[in-house]
Amino acid sequence: MSAQPNTSPVNLKILLESQSMARCPFPIPVGWYHVAFSDTLKPGELRNIQLFGQEWVLFRTESGKPGLSDPYCAHLGAHMGHGGKVCGEHLRCPFHHWEYDTDGWCKTIPYAKVMPPITKKQPIVRMLPAVERYGMIWAWYHPLCEAPSWELPYIPEMEDKTGYAGQRRGTWTANTCIQEIAENGVDVAHLKFLHNAPMIPPVEATYDGPKMRLNIGQGYIIGDIYGPGLNVMRFHQKEPTTGKVITATMISYTVPVTADKSQMNMSFRHVDFPAGSPELAFTKKQIDHMIGAAEGEESAGFESVDFIVWNNKKFRANPLLCDGDGPIFPFRKWFSQFYVNADMAKILSSA
Amino acid sequence: MTKVRVTWPGGSEQELAAGKGRQLMEALRDNNTGVQGTCGGQCACGTCHVYVREDWAGRLPPRTEDEQAMLDAIGELVEIRPNSRLSCQIVVDDTLAGISVEIGPVP
Repeated sequence: MSAQPNTSPVNLKILLESQSMARCPFPIPVGWYHVAFSDTLKPGELRNIQLFGQEWVLFRTESGKPGLSDPYCAHLGAHMGHGGKVCGEHLRCPFHHWEYDTDGWCKTIPYAKVMPPITKKQPIVRMLPAVERYGMIWAWYHPLCEAPSWELPYIPEMEDKTGYAGQRRGTWTANTCIQEIAENGVDVAHLKFLHNAPMIPPVEATYDGPKMRLNIGQGYIIGDIYGPGLNVMRFHQKEPTTGKVITATMISYTVPVTADKSQMNMSFRHVDFPAGSPELAFTKKQIDHMIGAAEGEESAGFESVDFIVWNNKKFRANPLLCDGDGPIFPFRKWFSQFYVNADMAKILSSA
Repeated sequence: MTKVRVTWPGGSEQELAAGKGRQLMEALRDNNTGVQGTCGGQCACGTCHVYVREDWAGRLPPRTEDEQAMLDAIGELVEIRPNSRLSCQIVVDDTLAGISVEIGPVP
């Protein structure tokens, strides 16, 4: 190779491994995910959406319950999002008017004298458990259709009737998987070099089942992470004129569109300070900073700089980490709990 | 092929050749006996209901949970007897040579 005297064999793995690496070598992770904003779906409405690597029929019953259905009727495979409709509390297939409730149980076959016994035993169309929180519809994704194993948390900034304000939100598409996006949370070194932060902040990550807590910069950012689909990041800063610590909140809810494409969504909320107060001006600037739109700042928010990395990188299962890097491996170990492989060959060959 | 005997409620009788390893329902369906076997053997329609002749009924493997559930379901509309079976759940082999079944009532 080069000028260095070297008697030991070259480590070819580190030189050649990238050829066989994938960008997103993971299935879609288990978890609760944002599906839609509640006010975009009226009772009786349905539409087709692309999520979790496939198409789904999103609908709302006449009484207001949201449903998220696999499109294809259990009978003969008609696509219920093309010509199907909401009938009362059911989604009705256009082909023979079989009807399903929001849990996927077949409730009506209008011409059958006897309902097939399996219809009494279990749902026959896959519908994801769906709830409404934070003004949004959320769905639980599990590759093997298992029931939710944790609940969505209470978020005062989103759920308290008073005390908080802020309508800013955004949606971005990243051409990578959620694990790669979330890994940046523990990768504090990149904050200095990619985002031009003044220093590499210290980070502590603690893990508790599906939850993770990030403490970046000794309390500057406290992030509560609930599985792959929900992060609540609270930014704490002293307002200079009053000396008060003010908290602004970024609620981030990313959803896998496919295994290698993610839709990132964020809402930004702050304390409902009086109009014209220095606190309000300060907290609005905090939010500008999170989005990366603050004027006169060298440091860049995620929007401007992270995508160029996410959209082009490959995943290194064996990264070369050095001192000063963040705690990448414990994060990956924690995240691996969300991967469940569905052995389709085995499932489809069973009776 | 294995010979099976089919009778109708009226008393008429026919002998059929049934393919080994296949469902008895298929032989009935494909030989104009009137058996439809609509669901193809999933215990979902109940249209292949037969009464197995008493001396043969006890020699068959017991009903599965799915078969029992379908027989229970059609039982609200037609007469189910202890020797009632779904012929899609009877797999033909040499031990069944000469089995005799009566076409049962269906929904």
